Amino acid sequence: MNELRSTLYDLLVKAEEAYGTQDAVRYKVKDADQGGKKKTKVEAKTYTQLRRDSEQISAALTELGEQGKHIALIGATSYSWITSYYGIVNSGSVAVPLDANLPAEDLCELIDRADVTTLVYDETKANVARMAAEKCPGLTHLIAMEGETSVPNALHLWELAAKAPERTDFEPKPEDLATIMFTSGTTGKSKGVMLTHRNLAENATAQDMGYEPGMVIMTVLPIHHAYCLSMDILKGTSIGAIICINDSLLRVAKNIKLFEPNMILMVPLMVETLAKKLEEASFIPAPLVKAKVFGKQFHTVCSGGAYLNPDYIALFKKYGITILQGYGMTECAPVISTNSNSEKKDGSIGKCMPNCEAKIVDEEIWVKGTSVMQGYYKMPEETAETLEDGWLKTGDLGYIDEDGFLFLTGRKKNLIITRNGENVSPEEIENKLGANRLVQEVLVRDCEGLIEAEIFPDLEYASKKRIKDLEGELQKIIDEYNKTAPLYKRVFKLKVRDVEFEKNTTKKIKRF
Amino acid sequence: MFDQLTEIIVNYVEVQKEDIKPESRFIEDLGFTSFDFMSMLGEIEDEMDVEIDQEEVVNIRTVQEAVDYLSKLA
Repeated sequence: MNELRSTLYDLLVKAEEAYGTQDAVRYKVKDADQGGKKKTKVEAKTYTQLRRDSEQISAALTELGEQGKHIALIGATSYSWITSYYGIVNSGSVAVPLDANLPAEDLCELIDRADVTTLVYDETKANVARMAAEKCPGLTHLIAMEGETSVPNALHLWELAAKAPERTDFEPKPEDLATIMFTSGTTGKSKGVMLTHRNLAENATAQDMGYEPGMVIMTVLPIHHAYCLSMDILKGTSIGAIICINDSLLRVAKNIKLFEPNMILMVPLMVETLAKKLEEASFIPAPLVKAKVFGKQFHTVCSGGAYLNPDYIALFKKYGITILQGYGMTECAPVISTNSNSEKKDGSIGKCMPNCEAKIVDEEIWVKGTSVMQGYYKMPEETAETLEDGWLKTGDLGYIDEDGFLFLTGRKKNLIITRNGENVSPEEIENKLGANRLVQEVLVRDCEGLIEAEIFPDLEYASKKRIKDLEGELQKIIDEYNKTAPLYKRVFKLKVRDVEFEKNTTKKIKRF
Repeated sequence: MFDQLTEIIVNYVEVQKEDIKPESRFIEDLGFTSFDFMSMLGEIEDEMDVEIDQEEVVNIRTVQEAVDYLSKLA
């Protein structure tokens, strides 16, 4: 059963009181060398350890004078990341989760823009920590999450926690700011979504999904995403789930066998790949195929982040697996609506969460409720464009049927939503490609699931530079851009135009 | 190594083995999604008993680049 919690502190404490000795988090660790080969084993932390460790991190941050400050977190999903997150928000500070896939320069810009004073990082992001130490003047502390670090003057998370008092007396209030999460903006500049304790805690606990304590969840999505953080970690904690950490996207299949989850939160891209795995062995009986791919105990996939073809819901049903499709955005902490076991409808993105209401204004979905963000950090204009009298304009077009189910029909805003749930701003990529002299005009869009750039080259410049192979030269520009761009922002298709783009009255390229 | 890899590739995408060339690009030419690609590398890890670094493989674009990377590990 779910009970509504209004702070992340309350959410964690109540979970610990109810499920103290049960495992909260399970994860793989490398064992000592065994004949030259490192074996992995599974370690676990109980709810009591999770609470105690996060309280010590809260106390350590307070000792450092960081209470009430902005603290960035960067790295892969780990027990340290999760305890740091609870430690930060429950100490009265603001957690700023960062996308580990972004180039270090972009991350430094976000650290500056979010007024971050402490960066907590894992060793795979030591390069970011080193660069931030030089380039971000507001940064006063660097904290390494685990073990040895190559970064000079960095502090060690668990050493600080061990030295700190067991806990502080501080308890956050529902209206306190808990997190700033960055999301793609339509202008090409990402926006920091401000979410309070109430926004996050009520989003995670308002809806009873019928999950039982002790349910095994495997977390595979990047933890800096609102969907993963809220549904896997915060909701998982609140219901007393056992949260198993998938150590790499390479090893999802192997880790399913290891952790034997009941439920996995996925994006449509993963659903598609796993559907192929199910269909590959379609000549043997469905229960055996399911047992082979997911294990006998597996029963639910929650899908969100992007549009999922309903055919997959029917396909998975054949194998005894329920796909529950939901809908949300970071600005709503993030879940807006979801199908549940008791209430679902084909083709719908479900009913609104109990703490949220929706209405349709000029075909656009507007939502209101306790999960709606406070605004974009230091972006009053963008905030005013998005929030009106407490209503959040989602930018999505849709309708609500007579039973209260939401349906999506399109997008108003100009964002590319990839099948792995990432939002990509076409303008951001256009600005980067357009910086090259050979590119006179460029339009970036989604083309059958891949990002395509259509370019009208500067022919005068090309002839001056005696460029004969225009397409080859333009591909080189794209290759250069792709080298530093994260996988989901890469351009995989090039189209070369021989005439200018059609423009609208304000001289902007017509997108559609 | 190239032959071993093409055997595995045809389980993930709908291409004929003989159409796979060293210069074929996984996403653009063979029709892989990024998650198909990751899953395939996970299978290769098991088959070849090697450990692949997720951070490095995002820069593998062609079949030949995958062969080169895997040859270094084996």
